[in-house]
Amino acid sequence: MASKRAALGEVSDINVTPLVDVMLVLLIIFMVITPLLQKGVSVDLAKAHNPRQMPDAEKTNAVELAVTRDGKVFLNAQPVAMGDITKQVSDLMANRLNKVVFIKSDARAKYGDVVSVVDNVRAAGIEQLGLITERVRPNVNVPLTQ
Amino acid sequence: MAMAVGGGKGGTMMNLNVTPLIDVLLVLLIIFMIIQPRIPHGLDALVPKPDKNQKPNKDVIERTIVVSIDAQRAISINQTPVSVNDLGQRLEDIFKNRNEHIMFIKGDPKLPFQDVALLIDISKGAGADKIGLITKAIEEQQ
Repeated sequence: MASKRAALGEVSDINVTPLVDVMLVLLIIFMVITPLLQKGVSVDLAKAHNPRQMPDAEKTNAVELAVTRDGKVFLNAQPVAMGDITKQVSDLMANRLNKVVFIKSDARAKYGDVVSVVDNVRAAGIEQLGLITERVRPNVNVPLTQ
Repeated sequence: MAMAVGGGKGGTMMNLNVTPLIDVLLVLLIIFMIIQPRIPHGLDALVPKPDKNQKPNKDVIERTIVVSIDAQRAISINQTPVSVNDLGQRLEDIFKNRNEHIMFIKGDPKLPFQDVALLIDISKGAGADKIGLITKAIEEQQ
């Protein structure tokens, strides 16, 4: 009699702890993966020793122009033609106080392409740029390319 | 007997098992520790619009520092050749006697972006506050 009641008791309350564990871990994994997926354009960033942290570049309303190795330009992960940059950037920046455009260029992209993008951004009235780079430790030597 | 079992069960229910909670919190902590270095880093640069009404006076022109790099990766500060290893020290020497640490960087369009980023990086390391990029449009205006 006693054992039967105990058995019934064990069945009736489900142990939800593992379920909650799994759910929380899943939630966390998705929290981590989502911003990584949104970055979209993946470029091999230039390496630098003295960059400052730019948390603003990660904000959802940040205006970021990516320049890939083959000279393609992406505005917030959407492909954009060189001639349309000025208009689109000025539209995005219309009501902003902090007019900074982030340039995320591939290390091996031609500087000429970067300069063309910068000129177009400048035509939209932007004077401040953030050149996104990868931070390397001071003991890692960054030479000039050959 | 039955009472004892019931009491025992009640006791286990009261003690909240915090181990899984701690597990989850530790995993969270580790994940955020890994994410932390992923904050984007970058170098500030300016592309200033020159004031049309104000003509640059002689004094300003003389004090302007332009670091340029040509297609052969030869670096120069205002036409004086300098090696990449000495650049930081030379800039520091120049900035030592100045209040405003402003300089400009000009790169050959055929270079990869990494080389120009390296110049900006060295300049930042030497203490430059404001680094202006000289672009095609800025050059044509002058």
